[in-house]
Amino acid sequence: MSSSAKRTPPPPVYKARRASLLRSWLWPARSNLGRWAYTMQRVSGVGVSLYFLAHIIETGNVVGGLSMWSVPAYDIAKNNWNNTVDFLKNPLFDLGLVIIGFLLTFHTFNGLRLFFSEFGYGIGKPARPDYPYKPKSQNTLQDLIIWLSAILAALAAVYALNVLFG
Amino acid sequence: MEISLSVSRSTPKRHFEEFTIPLQKGMTVLDALIYAKENLDHSIAMRYSCRMAVCGSCGMKVNGRPMLACYTQISELKSNRIKVEPLDNCAIIRDLVTDFAEFFSHHKSVHPYLIRNDVKEQDNPVKEFLQKPEEVEKYLQYSYCIKCGLCYSACPTVAADKEFPGPQALAQAYRYIADSRDEGIQKRIDVIDTAHGIARCHFAGTCSSVCPKGIDPAQGIQLLRRYTLSLKR
Ligand code: SF4
Ligand code: FES
Repeated sequence: MSSSAKRTPPPPVYKARRASLLRSWLWPARSNLGRWAYTMQRVSGVGVSLYFLAHIIETGNVVGGLSMWSVPAYDIAKNNWNNTVDFLKNPLFDLGLVIIGFLLTFHTFNGLRLFFSEFGYGIGKPARPDYPYKPKSQNTLQDLIIWLSAILAALAAVYALNVLFG
Repeated sequence: MEISLSVSRSTPKRHFEEFTIPLQKGMTVLDALIYAKENLDHSIAMRYSCRMAVCGSCGMKVNGRPMLACYTQISELKSNRIKVEPLDNCAIIRDLVTDFAEFFSHHKSVHPYLIRNDVKEQDNPVKEFLQKPEEVEKYLQYSYCIKCGLCYSACPTVAADKEFPGPQALAQAYRYIADSRDEGIQKRIDVIDTAHGIARCHFAGTCSSVCPKGIDPAQGIQLLRRYTLSLKR
């Protein structure tokens, strides 16, 4: 960064700012649809990341955890497999999978919307604003994709309900 | 008819105070506040000047949404209970008055003025800088910004990251980058394309939905991001 790019240091952060932080960050009430999508995208992102972590640990367990590098004996592997399957036989985990199905699908489709928007597609062209000011980037196409992501996510969750009975 | 105006007070500790205001035709939220200050409690602190959505001083949260008090008629709120609070994402100085130092420092950081390589020519031009109407359209709406801070206070990323420049500053960066007369693009990219910079925007679009001047910061930010990703202007 060149020296000319240095900005005036921001003033100290006050207590008052911190107090409302969580609300103004994640609470979308009385806001536009895109803001709801923002919260969902953040929450689903964190949820899916945690799931992947748990998934890797779980799968690692099945093949024998860290000892897999030294090729586990067949019995150990079989034992681990059975233990893990027993451990996961729990409606709570099944419910978790249904929720993950919802979050993952929403994150994917809404993520595609964000991806294209970031390259300037579907956000309209700058023009002279006329009353009543309707921002072009908050258009029907964007809203439609957000709703579509939510509907597809709900369908994925319904499909995933199978695990509860399977 | 009367309305009840509930005002957020900061001393001794944050609380709400209720005032009953006689409603008049065409009354704005600011008028109601001025009525309360003149007749009911002189100690209410608020900031205003132009009373016509030009100076950008009277931004506050009205019934939970950032708005200009002078630009919001009570009749359009469709409720006779009105709650006014100071803007989010800013420190409170007193009652409805918030500290904009951080907001302005972000605005200043993006070099919000025309930059030319030939400084001599810029200061003492020998002829006009010509622009086609289509070139003006590219940045015109962003030049209407009155620095009211509504978008800044509505932005969820600003809430989470105080070093993020915020929608107003980023939209101003776009305003000058999109201007065909400007040559300072790299200077601004250096400021905004950082770890806390433009990539932190996740296109919630709340900035655009609250702007009282019809500016679409979310759009400007995405267009600017397109530039940082693909160098396409
Ligand atoms: S972009 Fe709009 S909301 Fe943001 S500071 Fe400028 S006028 Fe206010
Ligand atoms: S008083 Fe100037 S914008 Fe409201």
